[in-house]
Amino acid sequence: MIAVPAREAELVAQAQAGSAEAFGRLVQERQQAVRAFLRRVCPDRAEADDLAQETFLAAWSQIGRLRPGVSVRTWLCGIAWRKARTWARGRARSARRDREWLDTRAQSFAAAEEDRAAVAKAMAALPLDQRAAVALCLAADWSHAEAAEALGLPLGTIKSHVQRGRAKLMEVLGAQP
Amino acid sequence: MTADRQEARLRAAFAADEPPARDYVFTAEVMQRVARRRLQISLLMLAPPMLAAMAVLWSVAPTVETVAADLMGGLAPAIAVTTATLFLTLAGLRLLRPRSA
Repeated sequence: MIAVPAREAELVAQAQAGSAEAFGRLVQERQQAVRAFLRRVCPDRAEADDLAQETFLAAWSQIGRLRPGVSVRTWLCGIAWRKARTWARGRARSARRDREWLDTRAQSFAAAEEDRAAVAKAMAALPLDQRAAVALCLAADWSHAEAAEALGLPLGTIKSHVQRGRAKLMEVLGAQP
Repeated sequence: MTADRQEARLRAAFAADEPPARDYVFTAEVMQRVARRRLQISLLMLAPPMLAAMAVLWSVAPTVETVAADLMGGLAPAIAVTTATLFLTLAGLRLLRPRSA
């Protein structure tokens, strides 16, 4: 289990007692991690931020169920992951539209942003589980164990997802000038 | 291209998509949605007692109506005298109030 800072545990206890202020501080402190994860899992940034808001709304409803000692970041990204999977199932039919949008985006970017566009496009092409593992372990420097806990996947699966995903991204960057 | 250089480019590409560490607009939007949800829950929780109160009032309405009509009939002169007294007292106090220059 991941160590939880005392201040965070205190904020959680206050939020569980009904303090909106404490919950607001948790949102402020954890929004970056949740939004960064969702932006890498969902190709559309606005959609990712909307999912992040829904994640925090669900977290507010479920905060009473958060067990002591569980990392808020891991718990929130677990909720975000479930939201993203539901979203991805609904969007499977419009996957082609996403690819077209990413193509357009890639073409319109200046040379300095080519890497970012190429990585975003390569990320969108990865299977969802692999993309999530890469987003947490490569982009956000999470440990494999923490990612496994948040995504509800076995540790070995996370390791292989990260390895394969990394290889694909490196291949894309290697092809870039 | 070396592996280190590729690694650095990958990190830079990820960092470019990173949201800000503090985003008050995002937090405010979330808290606004939380407040709306709290209000919805409060209203939903108020609904059953309100419905119960309405049902009780509806069931006792004929009795209350009869009692109120009897009381009002007997108390009407007293209410009229009290209202008139109150009106005259307030008007008198207003007329006698010291005026500023």
